[in-house]
Amino acid sequence: MLSVNNLSVNYGSTRVVDKLNLELGQDEILMLVGPTGCGKTTILQALAGLIPISEGAMSLGEWESTANKHVPPEKRNVGMVFQDFALFPHLTVQQNVCFRLKDTKLADHWLQLLGLDNFRDAKPARLSGGQKQRVALARTLAHEPSFVLLDEPLSNLDAALKDSLRWEIRDALKKAGVPAIWVTHDQEEALSVGDRVGILNKGVLEQLDTPEACYSSPASRFVARFMGEASFLSATFDSSAANTDKTVVTDIGNVPGTPLQGASGNVDLLVRPDDLSLDATLSETNCTVEWVRYEGESRLYAVVLDCGDELKVRVSHENAIKPGTRAFVQLITTHPLAVFPRG
Amino acid sequence: MTNWPKSYPLALLIALMALLPVGVLFSLAQDSAQLFDTHNLRVLANTVSLVVLTIIGSVLIGVPLAFLTAYVQMPFKRFWLILLAAPLALPSYIGAFAMYFSFGTGGEIENVLGISTPPISGLWGSALVMSLYTYPFVMMTTRSSLLSLDASLVNAARTLGLTLGASLWRVVLPRVVNSVAAGALLAALYALSDFGTPAIMGFDTFTRVIFVEYNAFGLSQAAMLSLQLMVIVGLILFIESRISGAQERPGKHLSLFPARWQRNLMLLATMPVVFMAIVLPLAIFTLWLVREGAGGFEFSYAWNSAHASFIAAIVAVLLAIPVAHAAIAGKAGRFMERITYFGFGVPGIVMGTALVYVGLQLPALYQTLSLLVMAYVLRFIPLAVGSVRSTAENIDSGLVKAARVLGASPREAFMRITLPLTLRGMIAGAALVFLEAMRELPATLMLGPTGFETLATYMWRVYEAGYFGRAAVPGLLLVLLSGVGLILMLSGERKAQFTVTEDDRS
Amino acid sequence: MQRRTFLQGLAAAGALSGLPFSFAHAMTQTGSVSVESLPKLEGDLTLYLGRGEGGLYENVLKAIEKRNPKLNLKIRRGGSAALANTIVAETKAGVKRADLFWAVDTGSIGMVTDAGAAKPLPDDLTAQLREDFQYPSWSPVTGRVRTLPYNTERVKPEQIPESVMALADSDLKIGWAPAYSSFQSFVTAMRILEGDKATKSWLKGINKHSKKYAGELGVVMGVERGEVDIGFANHYYTLRLKSGKPNANVALAYSKSDAGCLVNASGIVALSDGDLPVNFIRYLLSHEVQSYLAREAYEIPLVQGVEQPQGLADLSTLSPPEMDLRKLADLRPTLNLMREVGVL
Repeated sequence: MLSVNNLSVNYGSTRVVDKLNLELGQDEILMLVGPTGCGKTTILQALAGLIPISEGAMSLGEWESTANKHVPPEKRNVGMVFQDFALFPHLTVQQNVCFRLKDTKLADHWLQLLGLDNFRDAKPARLSGGQKQRVALARTLAHEPSFVLLDEPLSNLDAALKDSLRWEIRDALKKAGVPAIWVTHDQEEALSVGDRVGILNKGVLEQLDTPEACYSSPASRFVARFMGEASFLSATFDSSAANTDKTVVTDIGNVPGTPLQGASGNVDLLVRPDDLSLDATLSETNCTVEWVRYEGESRLYAVVLDCGDELKVRVSHENAIKPGTRAFVQLITTHPLAVFPRG
Repeated sequence: MTNWPKSYPLALLIALMALLPVGVLFSLAQDSAQLFDTHNLRVLANTVSLVVLTIIGSVLIGVPLAFLTAYVQMPFKRFWLILLAAPLALPSYIGAFAMYFSFGTGGEIENVLGISTPPISGLWGSALVMSLYTYPFVMMTTRSSLLSLDASLVNAARTLGLTLGASLWRVVLPRVVNSVAAGALLAALYALSDFGTPAIMGFDTFTRVIFVEYNAFGLSQAAMLSLQLMVIVGLILFIESRISGAQERPGKHLSLFPARWQRNLMLLATMPVVFMAIVLPLAIFTLWLVREGAGGFEFSYAWNSAHASFIAAIVAVLLAIPVAHAAIAGKAGRFMERITYFGFGVPGIVMGTALVYVGLQLPALYQTLSLLVMAYVLRFIPLAVGSVRSTAENIDSGLVKAARVLGASPREAFMRITLPLTLRGMIAGAALVFLEAMRELPATLMLGPTGFETLATYMWRVYEAGYFGRAAVPGLLLVLLSGVGLILMLSGERKAQFTVTEDDRS
Repeated sequence: MQRRTFLQGLAAAGALSGLPFSFAHAMTQTGSVSVESLPKLEGDLTLYLGRGEGGLYENVLKAIEKRNPKLNLKIRRGGSAALANTIVAETKAGVKRADLFWAVDTGSIGMVTDAGAAKPLPDDLTAQLREDFQYPSWSPVTGRVRTLPYNTERVKPEQIPESVMALADSDLKIGWAPAYSSFQSFVTAMRILEGDKATKSWLKGINKHSKKYAGELGVVMGVERGEVDIGFANHYYTLRLKSGKPNANVALAYSKSDAGCLVNASGIVALSDGDLPVNFIRYLLSHEVQSYLAREAYEIPLVQGVEQPQGLADLSTLSPPEMDLRKLADLRPTLNLMREVGVL
């Protein structure tokens, strides 16, 4: 089990990663997300042993690496898949995948599984982006790593490809039974692929939890905004024991709440677009539609409540309302929503 | 915790070896009382102007030719490249001599064709000759760099409204300034150290003063003056190091497909260069050959030239690898790389003498082929280092990381990834050393085994004696052999062509 | 230039021994020696050859090798100064490579003898040479006389002064090669004979109406082309030019009894002990070799009893100054002087 304790990395005098703690389960896939510059690639490089660390320690099985005792990458039995594939241009696919292998059985297994059998003798320059990344994955897995690091592996591919390849990679990792840390900036990817998600903000891990928990019970506004469209609705919350249902009262409906950071009294309720409904056919109106975004299966509306709050609402694509129209928005969810102190 | 890059110790050793002959100059200069002379100032000014004009000339000729050979797709591309690089194989004094006696009143051109021509001599004559015989340095280094530049930037510029010419000028040229400077550096050092050409052209340079001293048995004075010349070398090295371009990722390079008439026009434009540098000397010597008759030439000379130069090229490239990687690794490494250039700026005859003193310390090796090869390597290693370094700089660092992560030790990653991918630079470097060694004279005379005659030494012999016609055959062979050497190396380059990103349809 | 094989000359050697001719100086008892009477050369011999007269010295060497099949002759070629420096370095390091050093100018010889590398030569060898050219530790081989080649179309022989010093004041346009070693030797001789001051003003004078060339072959070619009226050069350049181009517009003039008609020599020095190097030198002083060099290279044979080259004025009509040739090695002051004047 990969164990990371208080890992910190400095570039010169700037602290890029600050006291990172995490533990990776046996065949768990951990997604690391965050905006550009949050330090996720740095963490991967540190875990791989490609850069030295300033504080803390990490260990897996036989080896432990600290700031004073650096274990080089070749001794860590780590696998890494890069954003730009990093395939050796002068070697064929076969040679790339078998790079340090004496026995090609495992390489054959992965090549076949990932559908690359026909390309064994081709040089990387002849392959498409998706094929290249599959080769990179086959190469990584064929070397039987103890854990795998993936650095935005799908960033350089087109959208349609991303989706299918995402699952292929996840399947392969699960089949191989190795734990993996997968860095991405795509929040949809983070939610769907990972067993757990870690959200990084300027080198600090703000939350490390299951996707559901991160989405519905974000530890901070940053996490909330990062994990999906987030709107904050003014509300009041009675935090005393009298409020047994933990009801949160808003102008557009009541809903159970999960108070965070000691929220009480006047609070902000985190609502996701699916928690709301929007209707322009009713006589009663409480908001104005600002803009609409057609999403194929759905439409996303931005509405401004009469009290001033801005909300985003997602409805079925059939519900078409023109910007500027008055409409009626309502809280329709029944499961608990996160409650933040007003701020 | 400081971690010296692994290449440093070896690079330091090689740099010191390259500096050894210069160090010998210090001990040789001990007995010399004179430090500087006002008379020397005029001569110094001459030398500096010659160097500056040579830089300008070699760049003006070399850079367009680099573009031509890198980007323009045409049939027999390799043949043109070899032809245009061939002047590097001929000793510049041969060209100087041919031109001096061809042009002007009473010159051979007037005699044979009846066309009167202006004389070629003095500063402009020397600069012209030097440029013609050093532009291949600039051409080769620039071409290497052009081949790794991503064409998409030019395409972007053209969609923004620039013509092709303007795109090349504004978008491509600034990015190869490094390589142009590297080639110009070599041209400058060659101009600095050459004696033959200014002497024939009647132009008084610093090297001429050194040469006169040397022949007047003032070895210590000659050594002292050579050391003063080293100051200029240091200055040139310093200026060159200030020129640095931005790092960028390599990409598929530009390929231009001009219309046939445009292509022919471009090739026609290169003809004067080829004519002056290669055709004219060979033609003149052949003319005199016909007049005087041949004699005394043996083909073993050609074999000697070829195999000594070839071995030197291989060894030089091997030794260049640690130096080049040290130069990339850090400031100290860069400094070590610069040190290896000093040997290239020392006038040949002084360098030869210093090397004799060095060689005498190893009597078993003295006057053997091994020592001669080492002398070539020490003199010409900068030619290889520059090439290897610029190619190594362009390798995607992610590849080495990937290898390390797959379990390769730093050494294995170097041998299996870095080295194969720098092959193109190594080949270009080897080609430069091969050509330069083919035309080397003073070290060959003084350090080769007794009786070891090369094409260059034979040409010198007959030139000194006045049997100019006899220089025709060895001259032709020099051009042909260097062509063969270049072909071999360029075919290796073809196999080593790996673009790192997508869609290579070359 | 017509090429007559030296081998043919050797075959006819027998008929040529003992050609009579006269010198201004008295003849000594020994005449030139025929190659037939010389001992055969056997074994390894390494010769350092300084800038030899192109193919001709080579022909001599080839003929010697042919005649002595058991001789393994290795030749190292280079500039005389470079080879001299090499020998000095080798001597200092105690590394022995060269057995003989054949140089075109006496300065290089002087450098080697000064370093103590030269072995003494037996008397019977040196006695073969003309009286003025007998030295204990080295042997001159052939001589070259300083001349004044002039353009026959532009200059009449009467216009040429007898004293080389007078040329400084004449209005003839002069071609010269100040960087050339033979010229520097000539100026050194002038310094020894006339003194520094006179030499200095002479140089200044000539500089005012002169044109510089890289070497003395260039000077002669310049004279022939008409770029200059008259020049300073070793005699053989003009003779060789004329043999290739018989109607060339150049002829030789000589000054009288001063440095302008100095006779300098190429020389050979033995660097290792034993009979082999010395016997080799004997070959160079043999009648056949000396005649050959006179005929083909137009050099002046310095062994008694050998005919002079064609086209050269009879040496009895010349009056070269008395000079210990080794003194010409003292080049440093000459160069300083030339630099002071701005000639170099």
